[in-house]
Amino acid sequence: MRFFIRHITDKIFTILTVLSVIMLVAILAVILVPMLRKGLSAIVFNGTIEFRKMQLDLFSRGDIDELKNEDIRSRLYRNKIYETIESFKQNIDSETLSDKAGVIYRNFGKELQRKNIKGAEYQKLRSLSRELRDKLQAVFKSSDKKFIQENISDVLKFKNDIAFKDTSIDGLFVLAEDFASDIEHIDLSRRQQYAASLKELENIITKLLGPNPSLPVPALKMDRYGATRRDIAEKLLNRLLWLEQWQQDSPGKPMKRVITPRAELFAGTEIEPLFNYIRENLDEILVFKPAFYWQYFIDDSTPGHYFGGVWPEILGTVFLTLAAMIFVFPIGIISAAYLAQCQSDNLIIKIIRMAINTLAGVPSIVFGLFGLAFFVLYLMPLFGGPSKPCILTAALTLAVLTLPVMIRASEEAIRSVPQSYVEASLGLGAGKLTTFISVILPAAMPGILTGIILSVSRVAGETAPILFTGAIAFGPTPKSIFDPTRTLSYGSYDIAIGDKLAALVPHNQYGMVATLIMLVFCLNIAAIIMRAKISRKLKGH
Amino acid sequence: MKKLIVIIVTVLALTGNLLAEKQTLQIEGSTTVGPIADAFVESFKSNYPELEITVKKTGSGDGAAALVDNRCDIATMSRFMKDDEFKKAVDKGVFPVAHVIAMDGVCVAVHPSNPVTELTTAQVRDIYTGKINNWKQLGGLDMPIVIISRDTSSGTYETFHQLVMGKEQMAAGVEYVNSNPQAHSRIKTTPGAVGYIGIGFIDAEVKALKIDGVEPTKETIISGQYPIARPLFLFTNGYPKLGSLVYKFCTFHLTETGQEIVEAKGFIACTKY
Amino acid sequence: MKNNNAQINKEPKTSSRSLALTALEDFNGFAIYHSGRFVLFAVSFNTVLIVLLIFYFVIQQGLPFFKNFDTIEFFTSKQWYPEADNPKFGALSIIFGSLYVTISALLLAVPAAILAAVFLSEIVSHKIRNYVKPVIELLAAIPSVAYGFFAVLVLAPFLQTHFGLSTGTNALNASLILSIMALPTIISVAEDSITAIGRDLREASYGLGATRFETIFKVVIPAAHSGIIAAIVLGMMRAIGETMVVWMASGNANQIPSPWWDLTQSVRTMTATIAGDMGETSKGSPHYQSLFAIGIVLLAMTFLLNIISEYFLASAGKNSRKK
Repeated sequence: MRFFIRHITDKIFTILTVLSVIMLVAILAVILVPMLRKGLSAIVFNGTIEFRKMQLDLFSRGDIDELKNEDIRSRLYRNKIYETIESFKQNIDSETLSDKAGVIYRNFGKELQRKNIKGAEYQKLRSLSRELRDKLQAVFKSSDKKFIQENISDVLKFKNDIAFKDTSIDGLFVLAEDFASDIEHIDLSRRQQYAASLKELENIITKLLGPNPSLPVPALKMDRYGATRRDIAEKLLNRLLWLEQWQQDSPGKPMKRVITPRAELFAGTEIEPLFNYIRENLDEILVFKPAFYWQYFIDDSTPGHYFGGVWPEILGTVFLTLAAMIFVFPIGIISAAYLAQCQSDNLIIKIIRMAINTLAGVPSIVFGLFGLAFFVLYLMPLFGGPSKPCILTAALTLAVLTLPVMIRASEEAIRSVPQSYVEASLGLGAGKLTTFISVILPAAMPGILTGIILSVSRVAGETAPILFTGAIAFGPTPKSIFDPTRTLSYGSYDIAIGDKLAALVPHNQYGMVATLIMLVFCLNIAAIIMRAKISRKLKGH
Repeated sequence: MKKLIVIIVTVLALTGNLLAEKQTLQIEGSTTVGPIADAFVESFKSNYPELEITVKKTGSGDGAAALVDNRCDIATMSRFMKDDEFKKAVDKGVFPVAHVIAMDGVCVAVHPSNPVTELTTAQVRDIYTGKINNWKQLGGLDMPIVIISRDTSSGTYETFHQLVMGKEQMAAGVEYVNSNPQAHSRIKTTPGAVGYIGIGFIDAEVKALKIDGVEPTKETIISGQYPIARPLFLFTNGYPKLGSLVYKFCTFHLTETGQEIVEAKGFIACTKY
Repeated sequence: MKNNNAQINKEPKTSSRSLALTALEDFNGFAIYHSGRFVLFAVSFNTVLIVLLIFYFVIQQGLPFFKNFDTIEFFTSKQWYPEADNPKFGALSIIFGSLYVTISALLLAVPAAILAAVFLSEIVSHKIRNYVKPVIELLAAIPSVAYGFFAVLVLAPFLQTHFGLSTGTNALNASLILSIMALPTIISVAEDSITAIGRDLREASYGLGATRFETIFKVVIPAAHSGIIAAIVLGMMRAIGETMVVWMASGNANQIPSPWWDLTQSVRTMTATIAGDMGETSKGSPHYQSLFAIGIVLLAMTFLLNIISEYFLASAGKNSRKK
């Protein structure tokens, strides 16, 4: 019995250890797979005509003629949507009418100034016209037919006033008359409600199809194009078709999400069939085509990474890494050589080793503090530079951070060079320096390179030390090493947490972090393979 | 290896030499106003492509400090300058002038499933000081309140603290998030949450509460009825010279495009075209 | 060494170089050798210099805080209101938060890490080991911001929807991710120290009829205990100094969870406080100095842990050499 228990414990233990390792692999998969898979969708996806338009406008890329043809075809389908909405709007939209009245009023003011009417006369006409405008605007907002009719007839009384003859105020009377005839056929009580629903509908349609071509081009690039990809288009279509509301069944219970077809809001109107129309013709309206957007890696982005790629981030990361390596490479190699060549463990060596270990243990955020206090606030002004975070300060901070990695890897590489090489070289009469440069260094190079690659991957992935020493979330491409830069690491943080727009484009969020992971992984896998080769070679000896 | 180093050095040297003198504009300060400034820059760039404008978004306090030290041309701030900042500026011969570029309403938001629709300022304060910790006490469901706040150094926090909390301190259990979007996503995913975010972040996924019976809308904020609203500022050293770049930037919000941008960014424009 | 070889050689110079050196050459060699050594030393000593600079500058910036504000309050009060009109700097719950997530991360990571280390060193063949090791290295290579990204956008919603928590960004989330990040460090150091235990001990144990489980737990691990302790301490250093993950995943609520074992509440750590607040404070203000003060505490903690780990690593080295 006792033997049995011991045996079982032993087996369970073995299984547990196996499980722990399987768990490691599973963790790696669980973390990587979703991020890389979603990141891939930033590059390979089903693009719409809006995507191709954006590419053409912002990055002058794509086939203009083909796009024109596509555009003409999709316009055929789109126009129906715009026409239907426009004609429906005529009846119910009080805001546009109010705005029109406002414009007429303003134009009248300009006209008066042009005509050089001044003093009391000007004031009288101006206040009278304002009165008319206010009355009309009140009419447009009202749903009381009697009130409307009274006010409109009030306004129309002035139609033949001599002062308004042949002025732009005429427009107000036209508006008033049109409105009076329009409202005879519609249910005014629902007008307010229609207006609100229509506004929401128009918003979604603008997001789906891009702005109505008859309106002025929006100021921001992100508002100029509709859904660029199938997944976003489908999300928007869902929002278009279904109305989400929160309702409470009974007091004391949480409100429940109630989803109803949006078409119900417009039951019986000309808008109602529009929903089915859009759903059925989505392919023709948006002209889906598979896109392989490899330019994601070489494109700049619009604010918030709404459109475009991660080129500035890649460039910034590469610059930072290169600059850091320039500092860390010589110091790292020389220190490693010194440590490796000194056989005796005297006090100085012990102190240096202690320092390296301490440095390796300093938390990365403390490096950030140090970089801020020393490089940014102390060293830069000392050399007459601007006391602001920039690539140089960030690179120096990262160099300090990665120094232990570099020294340790290089030392190990130098130590693993067989003593026979050294002895042969020394035996041939070469000096220590010559031996080191022409024998040890080349032999240790693969190992040192592994160290470099590992420090590069560390530098590329670090975020905390550059938070205050040179990373920005959005800004111009740096012109020199005295400018701050965007980086993949800080960008990944910002796009996950800080940016409202990024949440609308999840593929770009994941694309950024996937780029970072891929970069670091390629470097690490290269290092792993290189080390495997070295160890095979060493075994060969 | 040597070649590599040579190449690296040349590349760095080349990039260093590209420091050609251009017309520049340094903008620094609030993370709230930053996005407006970014969008202004985007629109500015298309009109004046040779301009070099940098926007740094680190916080209102930094903006004020940078203006005082002459490190920036325009400080973006989501609050007015504090007395001591003003004093420091005047001592250094800098005379800060405020330009209000937009209004921002800070909405108290809850999960859409929460039946509570209205709170008073006092109730909001009691929630944040920890005196009220269950929605039941506010006539809602029996559900603990998860309190979300912005970072203590953000402008939104300062506004909220000043307009709602008065002199009182927030409770220990308050969860701090770094940005408006994060606050939004915390509220949207948490049925018991309450948080405060800029009005631009209110959408179908979170519900803004009426405060003291006033719904946060464009109109109520502009008219001053809604209690938790603030103007957003640009500060310059003296009033900018007419026609100068700084002047153009500081008056850009008065143009139609400027208004469109302010509205597109979810703030309330001071103009009405 | 070289001057021993010095011999005066008067042979006329021919095309081939003579082996012996002239006095001048010899002196030059001597000078170059020693100046070269000095340069090597000077460059290597930079590391020491940098460490001193780090300590100096972090302490220099943070020290005014301890002079101007109550140090005792800093360590005992939970009131952290750095931007208030009457600012309060009580960092107790922040320091507690750091230790809290670190220790919970270790509780999760250590058993798994030791099992994995045992697996790698005792159970599998060299070949499988060569496939598993890269996995561990890749786990270590994932940038911390990517872990943070995962924590916020994948793990937090998952925790919230599947476990009905009120918040997905909490101590549990941070601890889970931190434990994953600490795993590679602990595994590789622990594995090294277990491997370093000689065959003789194991064979003696098997010879007495012990099972593998008994051998490992009663013989190998006790023998390798200093190395394993060092591994745990190193893992702890990794976890306590981690910034991005805890900043993004811990919820940043300035509180000590109550009840204390409730991992599903949000906490705030030292690193996250520095990272989150530093960007928006103006330089030289008390708030700025207080963040450096937290930096000092953090630096002191990791320095202490470093000394502990070195002590255990050294004694592990001695132990294995004895055998």
